[in-house]
Amino acid sequence: MSMNRKKILKFLLTFFVIITLNFCLPRLMPGDPFFFLSSEQGDITATYSDEEIQRLKAYYGLDRPLLIQYIQYIVSLARGDLGYSIYFGNEVRTIIKNRIPWSISLVLLSVIIGGFMGTSLGCLSAWMRDRMPDKILYSALVLVSEIPPFIIGILFLFYLAADWNLFPLSGGMTPFADSWSWTHRFFDIVHHGFLPALTLAVVHMGGFFLIARNSMITVINKDYITTARAKGLSSGRIIFRHALPNAALPVVTRMFNNLGQAVGGTILVENVFKYPGLGLLMRQAVLVRDYPLIQGIFLTVTLFVLIMNLAADIIYKKLDPRIL
Amino acid sequence: MKESVVKIVLLLFILATVILHMTGCGSKTAQDAVGRKGVQEASNLVIRLEGGDWGFPSPFAHYSRGPGASKMRLIYDSLLEKGEDGLIPWLAKSWSVSTDGKEYTFVLNSGVKWHDGKILTAEDVKFSFEYFLEHPPVSNTLLIDGKPFIEMIEVLNENQVKIVVNEPNATVLDRLGIVRIIPKHIWESIDDPKKMMDIDKLVGCGPYVLTHYSQEQGAYRFQAFQDYWGPKPLVDTLEFVPVSDPILAFEKGEIDLINVPQDLMERYLNHSEYKILKSPAFWGYKLLFNMEKKPELADVNVRKAIAHATNIDELIEKVARGAAVPASPGYLPIDHIWYNPDVSTYEFDIEKAKELLNNKTLNLTLLIADAQEEARIAELMKINLAKAGINLKVQSADMKTRDSMVKELNYELALIGHGGWGQDADILRENYGTSVARDNSPASNIIPGYSNPKINDLCQRQLRELDVERRKTIIMELQKLISDEIPILPLYNTVEYTVYRPEKYDGWVHVFDHHEVTHNKISYLER
Repeated sequence: MSMNRKKILKFLLTFFVIITLNFCLPRLMPGDPFFFLSSEQGDITATYSDEEIQRLKAYYGLDRPLLIQYIQYIVSLARGDLGYSIYFGNEVRTIIKNRIPWSISLVLLSVIIGGFMGTSLGCLSAWMRDRMPDKILYSALVLVSEIPPFIIGILFLFYLAADWNLFPLSGGMTPFADSWSWTHRFFDIVHHGFLPALTLAVVHMGGFFLIARNSMITVINKDYITTARAKGLSSGRIIFRHALPNAALPVVTRMFNNLGQAVGGTILVENVFKYPGLGLLMRQAVLVRDYPLIQGIFLTVTLFVLIMNLAADIIYKKLDPRIL
Repeated sequence: MKESVVKIVLLLFILATVILHMTGCGSKTAQDAVGRKGVQEASNLVIRLEGGDWGFPSPFAHYSRGPGASKMRLIYDSLLEKGEDGLIPWLAKSWSVSTDGKEYTFVLNSGVKWHDGKILTAEDVKFSFEYFLEHPPVSNTLLIDGKPFIEMIEVLNENQVKIVVNEPNATVLDRLGIVRIIPKHIWESIDDPKKMMDIDKLVGCGPYVLTHYSQEQGAYRFQAFQDYWGPKPLVDTLEFVPVSDPILAFEKGEIDLINVPQDLMERYLNHSEYKILKSPAFWGYKLLFNMEKKPELADVNVRKAIAHATNIDELIEKVARGAAVPASPGYLPIDHIWYNPDVSTYEFDIEKAKELLNNKTLNLTLLIADAQEEARIAELMKINLAKAGINLKVQSADMKTRDSMVKELNYELALIGHGGWGQDADILRENYGTSVARDNSPASNIIPGYSNPKINDLCQRQLRELDVERRKTIIMELQKLISDEIPILPLYNTVEYTVYRPEKYDGWVHVFDHHEVTHNKISYLER
């Protein structure tokens, strides 16, 4: 019990330190949300005089002393209010709520596909260790996992979407399709999400492969596997029933690690496919110094990582009774 | 044990499915308002353009950067509009200015309808100005150097409005003319317009009605307003959709217009299927000199030496890939309606630069943002300046850091790229006339450590001069003087090549002060 209380206390303390950092970090960056000197190629930026900037700062409460702003932030956070985005002109909660399903489903699917493929191939590779298929798989997957995700994404975009017309070029769903039926929309969303998920899956696959292969090789050399072989069991049965469960721990760690990166890890892929995830939004929020939005996204990311760590802890215990 | 693994995988799968379903729910927040009165139901011409999220298109909520304002302007009309050659009558069919330059009277077209069917009145016009003074919109023209200039707005009769300003000023007509007119019956009950995100309240009197907006998808759909008072909309439905690669999307027919880099022009040149439009060069890079921090730069010969040692043609060829024109040392670019072709120019000449420097050497730091193009410009400049004896140290910072360093005058040389070079010639005053309070627009920083009474005087005189021809003469003289002094060194102005299929739609046109055909509403209207 005391162990648990200690854990919860630690969790809360971590959380508190993180929200304080979330508040301070954006404000430590030079620049403010209103002052723009330049514009993107071909664009115009609305500009403000000092008087107008003072007025805007007052409107968003940024003219008050930092300590007051901090207390206000904590108070509104306690009420579940994440504030109002300066640049995007909307509730931070709404902005994040509308994007988070896209980010999470993308990462979840890609980790599952990548994890499944990587682990299976890893098992196969370990079973056929030092034989031709292992050598080919090993070099191929190491190669693939070193290719930056955006290049894989662009290749998919060029061939699967543009040349072969199999998938849409961009976005998370067909725009203006509100009148479609649920199932139609569901398949539309899956159709749009397939390439981004596949791209990320390919990126994740290499890591899963290497870990599964390593872990498997250790397990395969154990005595009980020799026993299983001696009993005349089929290879499939030995790999998946006897060896994999014991080799699965590092794979599970990796899986939750990857899930924890739900937001940050997808930026490049979101950019290639113009996918409506949180990653690009985070980048832009930092770029324009949108303090409330930066805080909101960082908080979401933090919570997600903490939850994934917690989940990993729990699942670990289930998988391996030796861990307390 | 294996059961639990299976369970976990299963659980994750179910979770994924649920989340995907939720996603569907999430996107429903973007409402559809096709049912609203006055929207053309049977649409024939649908034009699709590259979208992306630029904010909810109300005058208060679109983003300050990028084309959000142009989307908002499709919904809301203004008293005057920007045409191909200058300001043209719009909601106001005529206007007059009193001889002292302080009273502006606008005569409105009659029978102008709001999207909800109500009639636009002079009261709405008065209300719009007063509302904007109290609640500044994202792009606000009702302030000069940060201060309001309107003294009084009076409704003379049901279609005439008089606006009295505090002093005569050549830019006032432009400033008043482009203010959006918003309906009193909608906005009078809204106290915090920045937070108004209700698509049904986005009632304007412009040619298009917004029927769909999705922030996270970056998609907009506009439909032509049937009862539009003005020129007939030729495009029935205008859709802005998310695009990953514009060229691929254009070739697949997903969008109807793109800007192509010079390198890909071959693909579309001499093809009857395509038409290419060259944009006026109203976006550009300039080099700022901080003469306060680096007093050597106060010597005009040093500035001229830097100009001579900068190979603009090389920058255009290597950085802009040919899609640019050299900027005018007199600032107003070659495509500006008041460009002076007779300004002093500084050809690339290292020997001359050395001569101007008396063979002295100079160490300078150039501040740039962390963009690829800026780094290329800086590196190429560094090579050539070194030949003339100027050692350039390049300092790269993220955009906002660079901006704040420039604001705090913490730089020696700074490279800035921005748009708006085609705007009213008063940008000369904003750039060079030091009487302006230091405000924050890209085109309006004072030049630290520099003051030229003659330039200041001309800047002020052009502002007070209400006679167009006389003002133009002053602007010409001002450009010449500026080009002799080069207190700022303009480098080059970029051009864009717009490609579209005329068979589908051929109405694209540039207005006199802007470089993008899709940003002005007359591109979509009958002319």
